Parts: sequence; structure tokens; C-alpha cells
Amino acid sequence: MSKKIVIGGNDAIAYAAKQSSIDVISAYPITPQTSIIEKIADFISSGEMKTRFIKVESEHSAMAAAMGASIAGSRVFTATSSQGLLLMHEVLHWASGARLPIVMANANRAVAPPWSIWAEQTDSLSQRDTGWVQLYASNAQEAYDYMFISFRVAEKIRIPVMICMDGFLVTHTKEPVEIFEGEIDDYINIKEKRDILDVENPQAYGALAFPKDYMPIKMEQHKAVMSASDVFKDMSKKYADITKRHYKAVETYGKNDADIAIVAMGSISETAHYAVDILNESSIKAKLVKINMFRPFPKQELQTALNRAKHIIVFDRDISHGKGGIIKDEVAGSLGLGNVIGFVCGLGGVDVTEQDMVNAANDVINGKIKEDGFLWSEK
Amino acid sequence: MKEIGLHGRGGQGIVLSGEMLANVYFYEGYQVQFMPSYGAERRGSPSNAYVRIDEDKRIYSRYTVEVPDEVVVFNTSLLENIKVKENGVVLLNTSGDIKKTNTKARIFAVDANSIALSLSLGTPAMPIINTALLGAFCKAVGNYSFENLSRVIEDKIGKKADINIEAARIAFDKVREL
Repeated sequence: MSKKIVIGGNDAIAYAAKQSSIDVISAYPITPQTSIIEKIADFISSGEMKTRFIKVESEHSAMAAAMGASIAGSRVFTATSSQGLLLMHEVLHWASGARLPIVMANANRAVAPPWSIWAEQTDSLSQRDTGWVQLYASNAQEAYDYMFISFRVAEKIRIPVMICMDGFLVTHTKEPVEIFEGEIDDYINIKEKRDILDVENPQAYGALAFPKDYMPIKMEQHKAVMSASDVFKDMSKKYADITKRHYKAVETYGKNDADIAIVAMGSISETAHYAVDILNESSIKAKLVKINMFRPFPKQELQTALNRAKHIIVFDRDISHGKGGIIKDEVAGSLGLGNVIGFVCGLGGVDVTEQDMVNAANDVINGKIKEDGFLWSEK
Repeated sequence: MKEIGLHGRGGQGIVLSGEMLANVYFYEGYQVQFMPSYGAERRGSPSNAYVRIDEDKRIYSRYTVEVPDEVVVFNTSLLENIKVKENGVVLLNTSGDIKKTNTKARIFAVDANSIALSLSLGTPAMPIINTALLGAFCKAVGNYSFENLSRVIEDKIGKKADINIEAARIAFDKVREL
């Protein structure tokens, strides 16, 4: 029987890990990810979870150990954040290039310097090109649900999946989450067959590839990541059959024929529900376009969601210095739209409220703001 | 939606009391959200936690509470920096003779330190007062039952639950409105 309990995103990930028949976890603690692996360590020490936990001396080693275990055929999980994720960068490419279905949770945290432990998505968005599927959970329930869907997607296409949650705002904010007991077993216990290490049939991994071999392998890898879009749809539908929660790469809320569309990802997309309500009450037709999947980029879904909006504004809790908001750049660029204005906001955990978003929306509609910029006020 | 602030110092169990309060309201059937404010936590430095509750609507806010409707003040040395809505509720942990001045807020006081120490909860330097304050707050706001508070204390505190429920009970009886 399922039950609702009051937990945070990190707890939700740990509970889902407990139910996911994971063989091996290798991880290194870092704020605000730490409580994920603390809880998992508790589950393992109390015998509730039968998983081999490998202690490592760095995140680079955490991902390397995860790779080794995955090549040997294990279902593998790890979790990290910010500086830890950046240290893993090289190995992220190795894991995806080796087509290993590793699932990792990332607590989105600002990148130093200056030192910060608070929410920002620059850490995971700067891993955009590592060949991992990226999902962004905006609340603890999504974090829990994405775990199961992620293992199924990863193993179906042999591509690793990263589940991102804004530090503290999702990882530590506690709210009612529906936790399953046995109901999820049939879904999560399906493990796809794949080539694994075999001492009877030795093979080399990560060997040298000459140009004419390298490129086809990379094209194949790209095709596999692109296919995550359809596989996610399928696995999400099957998950919904059990849980009644049906996730999509892009979700919308508010008026279909909106004059203004607010695009956001992660915790900002939660608060944005209120901004849309306020705008709609003030007779400005508004809608929220919430991005749940960033890689593969949900181009078609965004096109459908945004094609009729007069104004599109994107809130980025991230920054690409010298360009601006990363989500804005991708949305405007891949859709070839000229009516997109980006706001870089909430860096290093700065609060972004519905009123901030409403003000920004009004400024764009009234023509006061015509260019990308920062959302920032001295308070 | 109602926002509740819990304000004290590192080591006073602010985070745990916020989590307990969110669970109490959850058992009461409310939509709840518990948002601790994290920084460089040190024993003795200011520590805040916030609980948002709503009778029926899911809570979407993902930012810090700025001005709560109700506050529980674990340590009155922090009063200068605590904000509350004009018609809000304030619960103070104090043994002092506090006088109500110019405010529309309802103000309650309880000597949670003495209650905790009478039950050997914590030490004179750091009495454990969070359960006593939740007992007093239960009486002050009147929108959760003592039974649900006891249930949550049992869930979260384990072997010292009885004595903490006792502290909450005494504080419930002794809290007074100024």
C-alpha cells in the first residue's frame, strides 16, 4: 500500500533508491546532496536495503567506480552536487560514451568562487554536452518518481540519466510525498539485457578508435540520446498506469491561448504557477511552460507549447558568462523565435518570487523591457 | 496560506521543531511545506525554519518566507530581527515580565526553559525546549490537536518521547496571552 509522508527531495531520492533494486552505489558527500547518501547508508546498515556501498575519496572516483560496476552488469546509482559534479566532468563523458545506464541525482548548487552552497543550475547545465539525459525535478514527488522512470529509460537505451533538483529548495524542503510499497516492484524490477564483462569472452572498453570508426560511434550515441524522448514517453506512460502521475518532457499550466508564456525549469517552475494565476486574474492571458527534460532537448514539445504566445519569457537560474541564460539561449535558438526575452535570476540561491515574475512579465508586455537581462533588486 | 516562522539559535532544535510542526499539520489534513533556512550553521548562531500550511491548496512557493503570519521565538535576544504580520501571532519563550506595547499581534509567553529543565531536558546552558514550545503553540493558535502533536513527538523523538510530551503538556497548560 502506498502512503503519504512529509519528506524532502533528498529523502525522496533515498526512498526510491531503496525500492529500485540497485546493486551498487558509490558516492562522495557534498552539501546539499549529503542527506541522500546518509539516508541510503542508514537503509543499508539497518538491512532494509541490499546494496553494495562503495566509499570513495572523490567524485571523480565515485563515477569511475560506478562505471566499473555498471560494466560488470550492476544497476548503479550515485549522487553529487556542484563542485563534485564538475570534478566528475571527464568521467561523465566516459560513462555515456561507454553506454552505461547509470542513474545519478544532482543537487543543483552554485559554482564557486565565491563559495556558495545554495541553489543554481549552472553546475548541471554546464554538463549539457556530456551525453547524459537530464531531468529536472521541481518538487520532492517528482524526484521520487523520476528515479524509477530514469532506471527504465537508462537501461532501455543504455544512456546514463541525471536527475537534477535545486539545492535546499527541492532537496531539503519537506512536503507530502506518496511513497509506494510493492506496487512499483513489477515496473522497476525489469532489467534489460545488455553486454557486460565476461571473463570467458574478454573485450576491451574505451579502446582507440580511428576517425572512420569514431564518428559512426558518436552518431550512434547521439541517436540513442535522441531516442530518450520517445522512451521517456513510453516509460512515463507505464509509470502513470501504476501511479496516476503522468510526466511529460514539457508540461503546461494556465491559458492555452496565452499572450505571455513563462518558461522555467526546476524550483522556479513551481513558484511560477502562482505568477500565472496572478497574471490571469489581472486579465493578461498567461501560461507556464515547465521544462522537465533538458536533454534530449524537447524541441517539438516546446514548439507546440509556445507557438501561439505573443511574448515568451524565460527564467534562468544559471548563467553562461558572455551569453546569458542557458535555457533562454536553447529555447530561442532551437525554435528560431525572436520574441523570447531571458531573465537570469536567483543565482547562488537568491529568492525568486511570483511577484518578481509578474513584474518581469508586465515590463515585457508594456515594452519597458526589450532585451535579456538580470532579474535583480536591492532589497 | 499561512506562514509560520520558528526562530532560535543553532542547537535549539529549530529544524526538528519545524519538521514536527509540518507533520502535525499534515496529520490535521493540511497541505504543508517545511522550508528550513540553511547557511553556515554553528551552535549559537541564529537559526530559522519556516512552515507553510494551507487548508486545501497545494503549496508551490519555493523561496524563503519574508514576513510570517505567526512566529515562535525560541530566544528573545533575537527579537529585533524577527518580523511578523500585523495581525499575527507571536509565541515567546521567556521568564521575563514582558509588557505588550503598540502591536495588533496576539502575543503569548511561556517559560519553556524552566519547563525543560524541570524535566531534565537538556542542560542549563542549552535546555531542549522545542517540544515545550510546540505544546504552547498548540494552545495559542488552536488549529491542531494535542493528540496529533503527541503522535508526531513519538514518531520523531523515539525513546525520550514521553518526557517531551510531558514538557509539551505543561507548556500547553502554562502558556498565557499578554
